[in-house]
Amino acid sequence: MPVLEINAISKSYGKIKALDAVSFSIPQGSVFGLLGPNGSGKTTMLSIILDVLQADEGGYKWFGQTPSYQHRKKIGSLLETPNLYHYLTAVQNLRITQSISGRGNEADIHAVLEKVNLHERKNSRFSTYSLGMKQRLAIAAALLGNPAVLVLDEPTNGLDPVGIAEIRNLIKGLSEHGHTVIMASHLLDEVEKVCDHVAILKRGKLIASGAVESVLSAEDCIVVNASDQVLLEGCINGYPGLIRMNRTAEGIECYFEKGTSSAEKINLFCHEKGLVLSQLVPKKKRLEEKFFELTAE
Amino acid sequence: MISNIIKTEWLKLKHYKAFWVLLSVTAISYPGINGIAYYAFMDSIDAKSQSSQLVKMLLGNPFAFPQSLHTTAYLSSFFTFIPAIVVIMLITNEYLFKTHRQNIIDGWKKNNFIWGKFICVLLVTLIVTLFYLAVAFIIGSLATKELEGVNIFEKAHYIGLFSLQVFCQLSIAFLLGLLIRKAFIAYGIYIFYSFILENILSGFFRLKSKKWGIDYGHYLPFEISDRLIPLPPSIGKFNAADNQLAIAAINIHVVYTLALTAFVWLLSFYIFKKRDL
Repeated sequence: MPVLEINAISKSYGKIKALDAVSFSIPQGSVFGLLGPNGSGKTTMLSIILDVLQADEGGYKWFGQTPSYQHRKKIGSLLETPNLYHYLTAVQNLRITQSISGRGNEADIHAVLEKVNLHERKNSRFSTYSLGMKQRLAIAAALLGNPAVLVLDEPTNGLDPVGIAEIRNLIKGLSEHGHTVIMASHLLDEVEKVCDHVAILKRGKLIASGAVESVLSAEDCIVVNASDQVLLEGCINGYPGLIRMNRTAEGIECYFEKGTSSAEKINLFCHEKGLVLSQLVPKKKRLEEKFFELTAE
Repeated sequence: MISNIIKTEWLKLKHYKAFWVLLSVTAISYPGINGIAYYAFMDSIDAKSQSSQLVKMLLGNPFAFPQSLHTTAYLSSFFTFIPAIVVIMLITNEYLFKTHRQNIIDGWKKNNFIWGKFICVLLVTLIVTLFYLAVAFIIGSLATKELEGVNIFEKAHYIGLFSLQVFCQLSIAFLLGLLIRKAFIAYGIYIFYSFILENILSGFFRLKSKKWGIDYGHYLPFEISDRLIPLPPSIGKFNAADNQLAIAAINIHVVYTLALTAFVWLLSFYIFKKRDL
């Protein structure tokens, strides 16, 4: 059973359609990345599933059930910015989170502060924290009581490279322990490192979703090169099953239907045409590349 | 659930210095205004002049028991704008820090959030009423020469009327904060309306009352609860007929005030439930 099922959610702000009949589901135990350029509707989507915004149309289910406040208590969330009381200390803020959600206890509060490296500043007021420290406290609030599901909106915002790596390892660790993590992020490299599922939004529309491998590999790509690129282009153009090719600095990228490419057969084909290849490399597309391809105007 | 809401609101308030500082200002303002009025009155009647003796004869001592509870309630009611700052701050700060969203995200129902603020307004009302009571009893004790035979609780109903008036006016302040979300704008509107605009409207309706046969000014948002505490009789005797009418209208204004307060809170629950956070 999916942790979250989103069914044809639409939301408008006046004439602007922030989400347009978006549907996808999030498998249990996955690290799910919600991607999209600025204004694509990521935060609107997370706000709706956390009951901060109301959808105009469509709906969603947490754990296969109609969503309620009881579900939100079980979900650790960080939405947009760290939303905490500026005049309270880290410990006092987490006591409020604990009181409302019922997650964790006094010992857990200190444990999560240790986990995000804020224990030494636990008695400092939130208003005295740097942006990175505020972000870490918000993550600590989300982690309090070890919730089974975490919703993190741009969790690495304001963090230094060490902090980013720490959060990456934290999310990986959570995933290994069976937690479901739903994260929106601009940092595609980070998402690629930690997420196993993604959904890509563009201007409120869902343009791709599923396991990272299947989203990235809609086509097979093999890069070939030879001393005479013009001759190689003419030769490879006649290869059966070729969809398109693209000349780059690395060589010629040849695209095939998913699962139909064979480096061995291409090599043999070129050899029979009297061409010796200097390069023959199956290429795995990177998320960043796919993202730009999908979200390009 | 209600105990969880009380506990959580207490966690928010306990270490909130601005809250306690503003309540301290309220605590100073009540004895301040009543004390100044009391000593000014005592000075005027202590003088040997004929006019002073005339004042003493006409007014009696409005600060002595049992009038003390009425007079201090009347004077203190001019200072509800100070706890109103506290109430506006309590709600607009939630918007400023976006913690109103986080409270919902963490698992509160939207109703729970407004119940929390209802409890806070009730708490502020209780504290303010305690300040008023302390002042009323201290000044009453100082002003009453002979306590024997005096029923100091004869005017005790003014305790309830004062707290109802404060709760109603603080509820309006809360609604303004909830609607406007910005502390300074909400407070500016509160002060402008309660001190200036409503007085202008009240005067206008009073002028038109002869023509229309009714004074609609009595039903303005603050006037509804202001009429719970009319002028103390010793001062009101200068316009005895109007004062008698005002005293007679207290009961119906209790009903109006309760209805207005209920409307304000129902509207607050509705707005928060329907509005995107």
